[in-house]
Amino acid sequence: MDDLEKAILLASDSPAAAAASPAVRAEALAFCARARDESPPSSLLHLCLSGLASSPHAHVHFWCLQSLHDALLRRRLVLPDDIALLRSSLLSLALSSNAASPPFLRNKLAQLIALLIRLEYPHVYPSYFLDLVPPSPPQPGPTDMFARVLISLDDDLLSQEYPRNAEEASDAGRVKDAMRAQCVPQIARHWQEAALSLRAADPAVAAVALDAARRCISWIDVSLVANDLFVPLLFDIALSPGSVAPLAAAAVWCLSAVAAKRMDARAKVALLRSLLAAQQGFGSPDSGLKMAPLVTAYAVEALECYRKLGFSDPDGAAAMEMLEEVLPGVFAAAESCDDDDVDSGSVLEFLSGYVSTMKAPSEKQLGHLGRILEVVRVQMSYDPVYRGHLDVLDKIGKEEEDLMSEQRKDLVALFRSICRVAPSATQLFIRGLLMTALSSAEVSVEDVEITLTLFYRLGEIVGEEEIRNGTGLLREIVPLLLSARFSCHTHRLVALVYLETITRYIKFIQENVQYVPHLLWVFLDERGIHHQNAHVSRRAGYLFMRAVKLLKAKLAPYLDTILQHLQDVLGQFTAMDWTNKDVKLSSSEDGSQIFEAVGLLISIEEVSPDKQVQCLTALLNPLCQQIESLVMDAKTQGLEESSPRAISLQQIVVALNMISKGFNERLVMGSRPTLGVMFKKTLDVVLQVLISFPNVKPLRSKIISFLHRMVEILGISVLPCIPIALRQLVVDNEAKDMVEFLVLINQIICKFKSSASAILEDVFPAIASHLSVILSQDAFSNGPAGSTEEMRELQELQRTLYTFLYDIATHDLSTVLLTPSCRHYLETIMPLLLFTSCSHKDIPLRKVCVQIFVNLIKDWCSSSKVEDKLPGFRMFMIEKFATGCCLHSVLDKSFNLRDANSVRLNQPYNIATLD
Amino acid sequence: MALPNQGTVDYPSFKLVIVGDGGTGKTTFVKRHLTGEFEKKYEPTIGVEVHPLDFTTNCGKIRFYCWDTAGQEKFGGLRDGYYIHGQCAIIMFDVTSRLTYKNVPTWHRDLCRVCENIPIVLCGNKVDVKNRQVKAKQVTFHRKKNLQYYEISAKSNYNFEKPFLYLARKLAGDPNLHFVEAVALKPPEVPIDLAMQQQHEAELAAAAAQPLPDDDDDLIE
Repeated sequence: MDDLEKAILLASDSPAAAAASPAVRAEALAFCARARDESPPSSLLHLCLSGLASSPHAHVHFWCLQSLHDALLRRRLVLPDDIALLRSSLLSLALSSNAASPPFLRNKLAQLIALLIRLEYPHVYPSYFLDLVPPSPPQPGPTDMFARVLISLDDDLLSQEYPRNAEEASDAGRVKDAMRAQCVPQIARHWQEAALSLRAADPAVAAVALDAARRCISWIDVSLVANDLFVPLLFDIALSPGSVAPLAAAAVWCLSAVAAKRMDARAKVALLRSLLAAQQGFGSPDSGLKMAPLVTAYAVEALECYRKLGFSDPDGAAAMEMLEEVLPGVFAAAESCDDDDVDSGSVLEFLSGYVSTMKAPSEKQLGHLGRILEVVRVQMSYDPVYRGHLDVLDKIGKEEEDLMSEQRKDLVALFRSICRVAPSATQLFIRGLLMTALSSAEVSVEDVEITLTLFYRLGEIVGEEEIRNGTGLLREIVPLLLSARFSCHTHRLVALVYLETITRYIKFIQENVQYVPHLLWVFLDERGIHHQNAHVSRRAGYLFMRAVKLLKAKLAPYLDTILQHLQDVLGQFTAMDWTNKDVKLSSSEDGSQIFEAVGLLISIEEVSPDKQVQCLTALLNPLCQQIESLVMDAKTQGLEESSPRAISLQQIVVALNMISKGFNERLVMGSRPTLGVMFKKTLDVVLQVLISFPNVKPLRSKIISFLHRMVEILGISVLPCIPIALRQLVVDNEAKDMVEFLVLINQIICKFKSSASAILEDVFPAIASHLSVILSQDAFSNGPAGSTEEMRELQELQRTLYTFLYDIATHDLSTVLLTPSCRHYLETIMPLLLFTSCSHKDIPLRKVCVQIFVNLIKDWCSSSKVEDKLPGFRMFMIEKFATGCCLHSVLDKSFNLRDANSVRLNQPYNIATLD
Repeated sequence: MALPNQGTVDYPSFKLVIVGDGGTGKTTFVKRHLTGEFEKKYEPTIGVEVHPLDFTTNCGKIRFYCWDTAGQEKFGGLRDGYYIHGQCAIIMFDVTSRLTYKNVPTWHRDLCRVCENIPIVLCGNKVDVKNRQVKAKQVTFHRKKNLQYYEISAKSNYNFEKPFLYLARKLAGDPNLHFVEAVALKPPEVPIDLAMQQQHEAELAAAAAQPLPDDDDDLIE
């Protein structure tokens, strides 16, 4: 034993282990493992029993108990004599157990006894419980040990909370049946005595005894606990100021288990009634939070009975009355959800269930709903401690915001259901909050934030029509909001939710144009775009753009005012030092949306042509001049990719792009051609950047976006500019750049069709010379190599290239392929297309290629009488395509008819063969 | 509390036990805090490894001795013997494996049998993986047992500090305690898809905060 004792101490976290080397510890661990696994079971039993009897070390006791548990569980210890010795030793250990020994040892002993009970009770040894149940009056040591055995039995066998196999389930049934028949009343009496006699003498042990009782209530005759003696005792312990917290909590949990006991609804109503009779008013807020678990369980059960029995049934109505009795307690619990004693999840679940039973709430119920709204408001409010962090949005602020958005999820759901059940009451509630917030200069950031958040959420529930018409109190609240200025409006949270809420109700203004000026000021003054916080002002820019899109013509009269107030912000955008990290926020909201808004405003048809020209000149000219001067400087001093100059150029191109988003081809080429000329000039300026610095990739990307826009709005007149641009873009291309380039070409092909043939003829050789190298690579392998960034880029490039060929074939441009400069590339392209049509891993790509062939056949082999446009093509199609693609690939195992893609692919095959 | 081969320190230190099924990422998690090399391959822990993890709070330094226990063996090592004198714990499961969540109650029970009334954090690991099997909504165990729950991604460092902060606050009895220095972590192995994570965490809130898709951006094809 001495060696084993030493080894156990070295392997554990004992003081001896601290000084030992890893090698010594590993050796010690191996020694322990050998002692456990290789000794004959009887020797192990004697070894462990002697360790328990003689060693002074808790670690050694623990190891011995654990080893015995393993041996028993693994059925290594099976001899009846051995087991009898183990049983008698353990029972005597338990009976002599001292409540002061470490809990982890008492639990381990209890676990071992619980396992013996599972294996032997009642058929081998029927008197475990009779031996262990402490005699009256209960003493702390045996009472504690007995309770721990019951708790272990519950944990390891009886409780439904853990996954159990069939064998465990049947053992559990046997043990419970035998206990019910033999000793449950005696045990219940013991609990009651223990609670009574130890509540003062040893409250910790009394609490453990009640915990054991709580676990058994679900499967014993409930009247053994729910009776005239035990229930009042439990209430007394729970509510007495003299009870220590763990004991009071254990009593409450026992009562909750009684309330939650599964039974028929009518019996349950009687049980709930008896609980209320035993302690009138336990559901009042005066009982304190410690009753929260009982109050919640009680309310849940009463609600369930009401649901099952219905209001017309006397018991159902009684259930609702009893529910009303405890509601104040539920509200008190709900209002203190931060308290550890309150399971805020189940309180919330109950409240949601309760609200969902209401259809047309009575006056009284409306009162309750008001209370619940207040609970929601309080629980959704931020803690003022984080006010500063949330304003600057540092790490702690972000953490708090994350946590709050998580916490708010269920609360928002509850709020929504209240909105549905009682829309007017909710609106009234919100108006009250808003009036309070507006009437005081002292109102806190948190109060304003939650007021606006709730109003915002209300907007998700009320219909669009109701917002438009200002139904109910909305007619009053929305204008109130529009003119609101809170003392804490400088705070990021307040300003953001204010703008979001305004946006949520913006449709109201569509029908109530008298409020347009109010709305404009919200965005234009320091509540919006001129807010001191960059997060807020950029979000305001984005939301303003959306407002402009929605209200468009209604804003025309205010064009001058708007431009005047945005001048500084528009100027700042391109003047700002964008290399500064603080300036960069999220990529989607960089403030550029203000340019889009302005573009949209100028393009409104209600604005006169002269006015449009005047405004657009004022916008475009300075930007173009900036470009010209930057390009001039860059030509002498060079242009580094991340230099402030390059970034300024990028920002200007972005701004131009955003401005152009407001315009369309019909306007700038049709009704207001002067505008078209202006954009055309701007394009020339931007192209100068590309010509001078074709290799600055991020800048190039922005210019391509701008080109897309120009193709879109300038129509056919853009064509003369395109060849210059394309020549620059084909320089120094990586996969990603090539994709951007091809997407632009594809747009041009689709938009201009045969008008683009000269351009296409010009660039085709450059593309085709890359094409065979790119397409012959395997980008779609299934292995891990297929998911790298490079592979994804290559896949995208291949797809775009096939789309390019597809667009040529489907937009009357196939003749370009037959021109002398392009024709010889067909020798490499055709086999690639054939291969892809027949056996590419990506089925949609196969389909694209088949479609290309279908179109080429139509274009080149339309009539057999005339000479084919491409000699040999017909034969190629018949010999190679028809056999390889239409027949063999269908027989291939990669072609799965149960796969929708494959079936879709089959259709063009059929068409191709028909021709 | 003594520890194998590790000097004691003159600031508060706590024994933290990490339990959970094998392969849930317990070892990966503790190794994110720059001690030892991050293992790409899965190497089952044998018995226990103890990592001292230091954090600096507004009230001074604290150390967690993290007992990283083996999750996969049923009968080897000292198993729950390692929990003895544990002062706080992390129970780990893998959100891509339902079974590891199903076993959480068992780990909790075995832990509480040895360490009564200690603060415990439940961690759902691997939230960076797209194909998650246990949704945030389905995780309810912590509510019943009064545990704190965090979604983490050991590989991307997502929420790495949260469990330690919660435990530190509980152990210090100070709900406003916070870490004042950034912890030196290994660079993220995978980027956490924040948009996706936000979707999980704030399905309702996120939708409203995102800019609307720009309807006139789709010029191409």
